Order: sequence, then C-alpha cells, then structure tokens
Amino acid sequence: MVSGKMKRFTAAALLTLFAFTLLTAYLSPFAYMTSTAFKDLHQFSRPDAPLWPAQEKSFTWEGKEYPLYHVPFEDGERILALVKKGREESLFVDPQNPEAGEIRWEGRWRTLEPVWEFSPRWENFPEAWEAIDFPRLFRNTLIIATVGMIGTLLSSIAVAYGFARFRIPGKKVLFVILIATIMLPRQVTLIPTYAFFARIGWTGTWLPLIVPHFFANAYNVFLLRQYFLTIPRELDEAAMIDGASPLRVLLSVILPLSIPAIVSVGIFHFIWAWNDYFEPYLYLATKPELQPISVGIQQFNALYSNQPHMIQATALMGLLLPVIIFFLAQRAFMRGVVITGVEK
Amino acid sequence: MRKWMVFLSVLLVLSFFLSACGSAPTATPAPTEEATEVSTPEPTEEATPEPTEEAVEPVVIRWFVGLGTGGNPEQIEAQQNVVDRFNAEHEDIQIELEIVQNDVAYDTLKTEIASGNPPDIVGPVGMRGANEFEGMWLDLSDLIESHNYDMSDYDPATVEFYRDNDGALLGIPFAVYPSFIYYNRDLFDEAGLPYPPHKYGEPYADGDPWTVEKLEEIAMKLTVDANGNDATSPDFDPENIVQFGYLTQWTDPRGQATLFGPGSFVDENGNAQIPENWRAAFHWYYDGMWSKWFIPNGPYQGSDLLAAGNPFNSGNLAMAHCHLWYTCCLGDVENWDIAATPSYNGQITSKLHADTFRILNTTEHPDEAFTVLAYLLDDAAPDLLLVYGAMPAHKSLQAAFFEGLDEKYPQGVDWQVAIDSLSYADHPSHESWMPNFAKADDRIKAFQSLYENTPDLDIDAELDKLRDDLQAIFDEVK
Amino acid sequence: MEPSKRHKLSASARREARWGLLFLSPWLIGFLVFTLVPMVASLLFSFTDFNLLRPDEVHFVGLKNYRHLLHDPLVEQSMLVTLRFILISVPVGMLFPLLLATLLNAKRLKGKPFLRTLFYMPYIVPMISAAYIWRGFLGTTDGWLNKGLAVLGIKGPDWWNSPRWIYPALVLAGLWGVGNAMLTMLASMQGVPTELYEAAKVDGATPIHTFRHITLPMISPVLFYNLVLILIGTFQYFLLPWVIKGPNGDPGGATMFYNLYLFKTAFPYSDMGYGATLAWVLFFIILLVTLFLFGTAKYWVYYPSEEV
Repeated sequence: MVSGKMKRFTAAALLTLFAFTLLTAYLSPFAYMTSTAFKDLHQFSRPDAPLWPAQEKSFTWEGKEYPLYHVPFEDGERILALVKKGREESLFVDPQNPEAGEIRWEGRWRTLEPVWEFSPRWENFPEAWEAIDFPRLFRNTLIIATVGMIGTLLSSIAVAYGFARFRIPGKKVLFVILIATIMLPRQVTLIPTYAFFARIGWTGTWLPLIVPHFFANAYNVFLLRQYFLTIPRELDEAAMIDGASPLRVLLSVILPLSIPAIVSVGIFHFIWAWNDYFEPYLYLATKPELQPISVGIQQFNALYSNQPHMIQATALMGLLLPVIIFFLAQRAFMRGVVITGVEK
Repeated sequence: MRKWMVFLSVLLVLSFFLSACGSAPTATPAPTEEATEVSTPEPTEEATPEPTEEAVEPVVIRWFVGLGTGGNPEQIEAQQNVVDRFNAEHEDIQIELEIVQNDVAYDTLKTEIASGNPPDIVGPVGMRGANEFEGMWLDLSDLIESHNYDMSDYDPATVEFYRDNDGALLGIPFAVYPSFIYYNRDLFDEAGLPYPPHKYGEPYADGDPWTVEKLEEIAMKLTVDANGNDATSPDFDPENIVQFGYLTQWTDPRGQATLFGPGSFVDENGNAQIPENWRAAFHWYYDGMWSKWFIPNGPYQGSDLLAAGNPFNSGNLAMAHCHLWYTCCLGDVENWDIAATPSYNGQITSKLHADTFRILNTTEHPDEAFTVLAYLLDDAAPDLLLVYGAMPAHKSLQAAFFEGLDEKYPQGVDWQVAIDSLSYADHPSHESWMPNFAKADDRIKAFQSLYENTPDLDIDAELDKLRDDLQAIFDEVK
Repeated sequence: MEPSKRHKLSASARREARWGLLFLSPWLIGFLVFTLVPMVASLLFSFTDFNLLRPDEVHFVGLKNYRHLLHDPLVEQSMLVTLRFILISVPVGMLFPLLLATLLNAKRLKGKPFLRTLFYMPYIVPMISAAYIWRGFLGTTDGWLNKGLAVLGIKGPDWWNSPRWIYPALVLAGLWGVGNAMLTMLASMQGVPTELYEAAKVDGATPIHTFRHITLPMISPVLFYNLVLILIGTFQYFLLPWVIKGPNGDPGGATMFYNLYLFKTAFPYSDMGYGATLAWVLFFIILLVTLFLFGTAKYWVYYPSEEV
C-alpha cells in the first residue's frame, strides 16, 4: 500500500518536475528579453560581460576613469585599475593606495576578469517609449483594432445568426464555402486587392485594415454560430409569437445569452489586430504617422539594429498589452480556441 | 434595433467619406497646378522686354526634395528659408519647394514623370538615386558655358564623377563624401604599432609602401583572440576573436571590390561580367574573413562584440574603410583618426559618394532652372550643407565645415586626409547604373550574404554563377 | 434540391429565407468583393504585364508569365527552400504540441491549469516581438542558448547566419506558435470517453499501446485539421525570416521562400502581372496538396459518427 502510494507520488513528482523544466526552457527567451532590455549599450561589445545587466566598476585617477580588474599576484589576487594597456605587460593603479603610483604587471590583460556590478538601466524604457513614439503607435493600434472589432462583431453576429436560425436554400453549400475560405491562401487575392485599394486611393490610410472587417470572418462566424446553436429555439419561438421580428429576437433573446462568445470574438479580434503585421506594413509603410505598433517597432528596429537593449525594450512594450489581456481573459480566450479548433 | 442599423450605415458612410478625403489630395492637385504653369511661360518670355508690371508672370521652377537627405524637420525649415530668400530677391523666377519623405520619394517622382508633371530640379540626390532615373538628367555643359559658371573652385576629379560615358556632364559637385581609413589609435597603441600614413603616396612607418598587402599585415597583428594571441600566432583561436583588424564597412560587394580599383558588373555591351581586379578583391575579402581572420565575417559583424552592425564604433575594430558621412555614428569610440586608402597594384581608389541637385531633361525652362541650380550650389550652399551634414565640394567652403566637425570630435582628426581622398574617386562609380536595377542589386547583395556567412566556399564558382544570374536578370529587360 | 420543391416553398418559408439572406448579406457581399472577384482578377492579371507604376499601360501577354516562371531559376530555388522547410518544420509543428498536450493530459501531473496557461501564452506574443526576442536569444556569441551550450562544453552553431542552421533556428522560434494546436489537441484528448481507457486497462494494455490505439485515433480529426492548417500556413511562410534576416533571403538565399519572392516581385519590383502568376501557381499547389490530404483522410482519420 505504502510503496504503491510512494511510487505514485514519485511518478507525479518526476512528471511535474519534467513539465516545469520544459516550461522554464520554453519561456527562457522572455528572461533573455527582460535582462537585455535593462542593459547598458556598452555591455554588449564586451564578450566577458555577465548575462545580467551590469556595469564595469571603475576607478577615477588623475581625472580619468579606468576599469577595475581582478589581477593575480604571487601573494594573492588584488583588484586594480588598468591605466595603460599593453600586449604582454600593462600598468595598473591600486584604488586603495593610488599614491603608490603605477604598478607594472606582466601578462595579458585580456585574460583578466573585470569587476562587474549589478546595474539595471531603467532609462531604457522611457528612451524607447519616446524613440518609437509609443503614445502615437498605441493610439493608432487602438483605433484600428477597436473599429475593426466593432465591424467584425456587427457583421459576424448577423451572419452567424443567419446560419444558425434560418432555413435558406443552399445554406449548407454556403457554409462549406465560408469554412473553406479559412484555407484560402491570402496571396491569391492580395495583389488585385492591393491594386484596387491603390486605385481608389486607400493605400496610406487605415481603410484597407478596417473596412474588410465589416464583412464578417469565417472563424468568428463559426464560433458564434456554434454558440447560438446551443441556445434553445423555444426562446426564439416564444418571442416570435409575441410578434417580435427576427432582428428583435437577435437583439433581445440571442445576444444577451451569448455574451461569453461575443467577448471571446472581441478579444480574438483585438489581439489579432494588435499583432497583425503584414497588411499594416503593406498599406502604411509610407505613412509613419498612421502605423500601428507592430510596424512601428519593426521600422524602428530596422534603423537601430545595433542597439539590442532598445530592441528588446520595444519587443517587451509590444507584447505587454496582449499578454495582460490574455491573462485577464484566458478562460474566455481558450474556450473560443477550443470551439473553433475541435468542433469543426 | 434601428439604432444599430443607423450606427452601421453612419459608420459606412463615414468610412467612404474618409476615403474620399484621404485620396483626393494625392490624386488631384498636381495636374491642376501643372495646367496653370504650362500655359503661362511662353507669353512671359515674349513679354519680358516690355516692363509692364502686370504682364510679367514669373517662371516657376519646381524643386523636388526626397531622393536623398532633406526630409527631417530642421532640413525642411532651412530649405524653405533658402527658397523664401530667393523668391524675395527675384521677380522673374520663383522656386516652388516640394518635399517628399524618402521612402515614398522614388514612387512619387516616377508617378510625376509618368503623368507628365515632372519637377525641374531634383536633389539632393546621390548616384544610386540618380541611377533609378537613368537617361532623365539634363547635360549641363552648354548651360555652364552660356552662364559663365565658374568651375575652378571644384576638384576636377569630383567633376569627372558626374560625366557619363558619352561625355555629358549631368551634375555639378555640391556635397561630397570621400572615403578613407578610420583607425582606432588606442588599439594601435596597445599593440605597439605605428599609425597608418595620412598622406597619399607616403609609405608606412617601416618604409614599406602603403598597399592592401601592408594593410593586411598590420590588420592581422591587430586581430586578437580572448587569450591575447594575435592572428599571426600559431595559438590563435578563430572561434574566440575579441578584436578585429580591418573592415570595408557598410557597403555592398561593388563598394567592397572598389578598394581594388573601379569596375562594373556590366560591360560595354550591357552584358554581365566580373572584372579581374574585382575577382581578386573578392578572394582577398573571403580569405580575410575565413582563413586569415583579420576581417570580421558575417556572424562576427552581427555579433554584439562589434556593436551588432556598427563595427568601428564598438571600439573592437582597429581599421574601417568608410565615407565621411560615417562621422554621423561614432558616438562611442573615442580616440580615432583617419588615414589614407592603401593602393592595390599601384593604383589608389577611394570610392566617392556625392550628392547634388540635378535638372530633369524634361524641363521647359533650362535657363531659369540653371539659375536656381547655381543659387543652390553657391549662395545657399553654406546653409544647406550645414543641415545636410555634408562636406562642401566648393574648396573655399571646406575649412568652416571641418571646424564644425572638430567641435564634435575634439580628439583632433586630420581632415586633410578627407580632402586629399577626393583626388582618388572611383570612375565608373561603384554605384553606377545596371539594367533591371532593383533585381540585379538584390542578386548582388545575396552574393554578399553568401560569402560573408559561408565557410568553404568556391569563390570562383560563385562569381561565375553570379555572372550568369546577372546576365539572366539583365536579359529580362532587353 | 429539385426545382419543383423550390416552387413549393410556402410564403412563410420564403419570408424566412429572405430574412436569412439579409443576415448573411455582409458575408455574401464581402466574399464577392474581397475573395471571389480578386481571385478572378488575380487570374486575369497573370496573363498581363500589369505594373503598378504604369497602371495605364497594361498589355495582354498570353502565357508569357507562365513560360517565364518555368525558366526562372528563382522560382525553382525558392520552391525548394519552401519544401525543405516544410519537411523540417511540419513534423515538429505537429509533434511538439502533441507532446505538450499528452503531458498536460497526464493524470498525475500537478499544476495543470497553470502549466496550460503558460505553455499557451507565447502564442499571444506578437510575431514582431517574438522575432526580435528569438533573434537575440539564438545569437551566435551573445545568445543565451549558445551561452548555455558553452557551459556544457558544446560550441553552439551560428543559428541565423549559417544556411544550414537557419532552418532549425526558425523551427525553434516557431515553437512559440504551437499554442492553438496544443490546446485543440488537449481538448480533444479530454473528450475521449473514459470507458475506452478503462476497457484497455482491463485488457492489460500498456500506456504506449493505449496512446497508439485509443488516443491517437480518437483525436485524429483534430490532428487532421491542424495538419491541413499548418501545411497551408507553411507554404505561405516568409514573414518571420523576413523580419529577422531582411528582404534578401539571407543567408545566401536560404530564406528566399517562394512567398518572399512572390511578395518582392509584386511589390518592390512592382511587377504585379508576374506576381499574380506566382500567386496562382502557389494557390494551385496548395489546392492539390489539400485535396490529396482530404483524399488520404479516410485511411487514417476516424470520425465516430457523422453528426451535424
């Protein structure tokens, strides 16, 4: 009995340990991002620098700053400031006793270990915030995402209601076509769509990113339809008998009962719009003042490709909001994924 | 429910309204302006002899800014001031300034030309930008003569730079960015090596001529691994290099190869070719990156050790060949100076970047356009060069320019090297035109990424493949 | 349905159909305007020399674009790059979420909701942020993975600059995109009736046997669905390497995916006629692959009972 329990306990512990190790490895790039975002630019070109944000300790001697190193001597290691570098011998000064003057040490200074101290650089964030003009990117993204969300909710609810409740000739075929559009490669429609938008002067505006959402989307329609199907028809029929029109039924019967599904769709769209990159890039590459956050970050980082701390700081700023929304609404979110992915 | 419908229709109407507003300014205004401009000029010229005030309609010269620098706020303001000053002083000619952001400028200008609405003057524009509009630039030779424009204040080599193969002069020098060697004094001191020569024609401190081979020799001593061994040592560890000797920085294969002399991937008949000196250059670079290790290869160039793409500024690169504009980006490395470009096979080539204003050959008023051009090149030059951050081609303006740079870099830089480098400009330019330009250029860059990132490459075979691919790309537009 | 039946639709049925169509109309219009018409237009474009910079000079060129496509070395090269990447990334993209789902479905595992949320979370990270994070994390000298390998005495590869290692690097970065697949597989596993497992236990089946003969067949519809989506997605892959390595297919053409060549042809080179040709050829290939997959479905996908 006891040994069986013990065995089961060990198995559970090992399994859990494995899962958490895997999770740590899986998420370790986030640790890299966070640590790098706090570093000082000078730390990057030092191959001997530690992983954490650090600064080299230095000593000011005769008005100039010199870096400190661990220097080995016969009678033990001393911490000295390197004042003159040389290939096979260098000159140091003892910070404890600078009056003693320069100390000659034979050996290669490159093999010495510098003295690092933990020093996160908080200024990176205000600097990155201003450099990418975060408030502007945020506003643009918010407008594109919100108007698109309203559009996709209005249209997808209507279409889902149509598929869920009405007998229409050819409905099955239409539904299959709807689902098939999920599999259609975007390229096959992209070029004429772009040429069309260019022709009517919509390139360089938000319209190509917003207007199509007012015409429903297969994922959202599917998710909402599945949800509407779980609402008992008797409720509609009761309302119909009271003389309600189909639109009334949708607004006063179906919608109030479908809030969770609607919330799911709303969150899906918002996060999708926040993360969307290619089409905003295509339509807004020439209009920095209209770009959403994804394009803004990419364009900034293409210009400042040699500033890893700034790149990681902006990457962090880009992912924060969607991740927070996800944690707050994770149940609604993951339920939506399961409905569209499993039931189809 | 009606509310919803009303809301939806309002939104739709609004979006279409917005779209109409958004499209209108870009699509319509230009033609209307053109209509008024084009209809007026001829009467003007006839009318000028009689001093009737009302009848004198000034000739409007449109100045298009955007193919190069010129789009940031302080530049926009300075350019507008320059235009306002000219317009106040001249009644017969008025400049109209058109500033377009760089990333859309090419398409905007192409559209304007295609729709018969081209500007008169375009600039500042470099060689690369000018190539995209090959065949569209006005030959200035006759205008220089008829206006008695003084060319004596320019370095002849920089003037030649603007002459095409048929002898037409397509530009007058304005801003020049010569190239030379940037070197880090601290790293030379640490290695106990003398600095490279500052005067063209002078030997290195040990008496050997200043050649590419000599540069390689000292660059290997300046390439050091984590244990302090340099690249000439048998113990040298190429996996752990912490300091490099040399790099031809921030340029494409054509720019890199030009260190070995000027050349072109296009022969006289418009076919693809690999010049022999360039073949030698690519071998030199490849061996420098993958077997002698004194040039950082792709992985090292992209690593944080070399500031992830700004190598010389990291302080871990001893020498870099680059242009004067690199003074933009040297905020972190402290004790640097500049030195002469080394020779190859007895020939010195310091590739040149140069920006100027050009006149489109579609202009209806070449004389007035040239008056404006001369104003920009001479009277307006000090103000413009200042905001462009460019070295004046006018010799008489150079001293003041370098004083400004000295304030920025107080360690004392020998700017005479930059001036002397102008005499060794590359002709044909490493940025010269190729058929099917964008695609050919991409193919050449793909070759660069290949040799910078791939060990054990057969460079000759890759060059032959490059030539064949370029031939196919050139043929696409024949 | 036969025509006679249509006539028999009652007035109320016709009213219902009208209302239904009204509700469907946003999608019907959208499908027409943003899918069907562009598809046809794209096909028409592919027979012209339509260039975005010269929209008024379009000529019909017959099959010229298609002939050029057959002899364009970049088409062959980029298609091979795409196929090679599919061979590496699709198996990983299926097996890794399956492993995670199996792990999260294990009875004895503690902290399931926590683990599930955190394993899913990277899926939410915007592609742009993920690209920069992974670019740094897999850096040759400064990336944490190579620093970790160095501690173990292994010299880490040059992930982003080696034409050979860039595919594994892209696959690793792609691991952050498996959230949806994992979640759907997990949900599907949880839907397998427990009686099946109990019966297997009575028969003395090993866990591997149970997984192979009960779990896998029972979740095969979800596996099929994910396989179709991932294959279609990978045929169109190019954005992540584009953000990380730039638009030239670096290093040495290793990331010149078919779709990148398509994008460059249509937009930077402004050659929309040829771009549309490339797009239609891609569409056709994807269509064939998808049809092939659906054709094989009956041999390995298990549908418990056809319910609608």
